[in-house]
Amino acid sequence: MASKDVVEYASPARRIANVAVVIFLAVYLLWTVLPIFVMFVSSLKDLLEAFRIPAVGDWSGIALFFDFQPTFKHYANLFVNLNFGVYFFNSVAAALGSAVVSVTLGATCAYALSRTEFRGKKDLFFWIISTRMAPVVAVMVPLYAIFRSLELVGSLWGLILAYTTFNLPFAIWILKGFFDNVPYAIEEAQMVDGATRLQAFRSILPLVAPGIGAFLVLCVLFAWNDFLFASIIGSGGAKTLPVATKELVQPQNIQWGSIMAAGVVTTLPMMFLGLLIRRYLVTGLTMGAVRE
Amino acid sequence: MATQVLSGGALRGDAPGGINPVGIMPGFVTRDGVTVLEREPAVRNPEPSRRYYFYMMAPAIITLAAISLYPFFWLIWMSLHDVDVMAGDKWIGLKNFERLFTRDTKFSNGWLLLIQYSALCLFFEVVLGVLIAVLLNRSRWEKVLVTVFLMPMMMAPAIAGLVWYYLYNGTFGWYHWFMQSVGLLGETSILGSPSTAMIGLVLVDIWQWTPLIVLITLAGLKRVPRDQLEANMVDGAGEIRNFFQVVLPNLYPFLLIGILLRFMDNFRFIDSVLILTGGGPADATNILPVYLFDVSFQYFKLGRGAAIALTLLVVTIILGMFLVKIFDSPAARNVGRTEG
Repeated sequence: MASKDVVEYASPARRIANVAVVIFLAVYLLWTVLPIFVMFVSSLKDLLEAFRIPAVGDWSGIALFFDFQPTFKHYANLFVNLNFGVYFFNSVAAALGSAVVSVTLGATCAYALSRTEFRGKKDLFFWIISTRMAPVVAVMVPLYAIFRSLELVGSLWGLILAYTTFNLPFAIWILKGFFDNVPYAIEEAQMVDGATRLQAFRSILPLVAPGIGAFLVLCVLFAWNDFLFASIIGSGGAKTLPVATKELVQPQNIQWGSIMAAGVVTTLPMMFLGLLIRRYLVTGLTMGAVRE
Repeated sequence: MATQVLSGGALRGDAPGGINPVGIMPGFVTRDGVTVLEREPAVRNPEPSRRYYFYMMAPAIITLAAISLYPFFWLIWMSLHDVDVMAGDKWIGLKNFERLFTRDTKFSNGWLLLIQYSALCLFFEVVLGVLIAVLLNRSRWEKVLVTVFLMPMMMAPAIAGLVWYYLYNGTFGWYHWFMQSVGLLGETSILGSPSTAMIGLVLVDIWQWTPLIVLITLAGLKRVPRDQLEANMVDGAGEIRNFFQVVLPNLYPFLLIGILLRFMDNFRFIDSVLILTGGGPADATNILPVYLFDVSFQYFKLGRGAAIALTLLVVTIILGMFLVKIFDSPAARNVGRTEG
C-alpha cells in the first residue's frame, strides 16, 4: 500500500463492500475445498471414527471431526486385499492407450485439415465434433451391442476403443486450432530448402509439441475420470479405479475408509496433471473456443 | 513427376531433388522449350499435395467412422428391432418409438427432469461463476484461488458422487448434520425425499462445474476493451453501471459458449447422478440419460434403449449445431484471440 503514489480514500460503504467480498470468497473457498478435505481426512480414519457425528445443533461438536488417530490401513487394504494395483494399472493402460492413439491419429489428421481446403470440409468437421458431443450413454448402446459380438466387452482393448470415441474427435478438433496458428511459410521455407512434405511436417512439430503434450494429458484425464464406459464396456476383465471404488459400496457393509482412500488414489494423480497443464486447461475444457 | 508439373502447373510439390524443369516462378510451365504462364499461381494447395493430405487424414477418419458412424447406423437399426440377446432380433418397425411417445410417461418425464436439472445447474453456475470471476479479476489472490477452485473439476464425477453421497448421508454425513443443524432438513437426508433429491444433485453439479464458468468468464474479462470502460467512466458511470453497460455485453459470447458446453455435458455425463440417486426416489431424479441407462443396461431392452438414445442424440446434434455456429461467428473469433 505504501508504495502506491495515490492514496485512495475508502468510504465506509466501500469498506463494508470489501469485507463482504472477502467473506463471500472465503465461504466459496470453504465450499470448494471441504468435500476434498473430508475425503482426505476420512481416508485416514478408522471405521468407527468416520461414523462419529455430533448431535444436531451442537456446533462445538465439529471438533469431533478432527479427533482421530491417523491410520494408513485403508490404503494398505486397497492394494493388499482389494486388488487395486490391478485396477490402477487398468486405468493407466486404458487412459494412456486411448490418449496415445487419439493424439497420434488426431495430430496428423488435424495437420492435414489445417493445411487443405476441400468441398464438404465444414460438414466433415461438424461430424467430427458432434461425435465428441454425443451423450456417452447413447453412444454406449450400439457400441455395447457391437463389442459384445466382437468379444471386446470386458477387455482393455474394448475400453481403449470406447475412450477413443470421445478422445479422437477432441484431439482432431483442438489440434487443428493449434496447427492453424503455425504459419505455412515455415514449411514452405523448409521445402524450398529441399525438405519433403513429411520432413516439413516434422519440422513444425517442435512448435506444437507443448500443446500436443498438454492435450495428451487432457485425453488421459477425460478417459481416467470416465465411469459409464468402464462400468459397462469394461465390466469383468477391465475394471478401472472409479468402477472399483463404486463397487466398494455394498448394501450391507459400506467400507467408507477404503472408498475415501480409493477416491484419493483416483483423484490425486489427476489433480497433479491438471496443475501441470494449467495453461492449456481453459482451451481444452472449452474445446478450444476460449483461450486464456 | 515432371509430367505432373507440366499438366498441373503446381511446382511446390516437386521442388526437392532439383528435377523440376522450371522452378523459377510458380504457375509458369515449360512446353517444348517455351515457358508460359499457365494459370494463376497455386496459393496454398497445389493439386498433387492434396492426395498427400488425404492420406494423412485417412487413418483418423476411418477409425472415427468405425467407432462412431458405424455404431450410429447400428443404433438406427436397433431402434427398429426388438433386440433380444437370447431369442434373436425381431423387426418391429416404429413400435419402439410409438411406445415412447404415446405410453411411456417415464420418457416424457425424463425429458422434463433433464431440462429442469440442466436449467437449475446452469442458472446457479452462471450467476455464481460470473460473480466470483468479477470479484477475482485483477485481485491479488486471483492466481492462487483459481488454482484451488480448479480442483473439483479434476475429480472423476463418480468419485465426486461418492464423496457427496457420504456427506449427504442421513446418519453420519457432515453436510446432512449441517443442514439439520441450521434447520433446513429434518431426519430424511436430502437424497431421500423426492422433493429435495433434485436439489442435492444440482448442488454437486454446482460444486464441480462452477469453476469452469469462472475460468471462462475470467478469460472474457481480460478481453473487455479498456477504452470502452474508460469512455463510459468519463460519462459518469460507476462500477455497477459499468458492469451492466460495458462488461456484460462483452462477456455474452463467452457465457454463451460456457452455457452450451455445460448444457451438453449435463446430457453427456450422468456418473454422479447414477451414484447419488440412480434416478430415485420415486423417479424424482430419473433424468432421461439415467432412464436410458436403466432401460439398456439394467433391463437390457436394447431396442427401446436405442430409440431413446436416438431422440437424445438428435437433440444433442441440434444443440451442437448452435455451438458450432457460435464458434464460427465473428464474436467467438474475438473470444479465441490471444490477448494483445
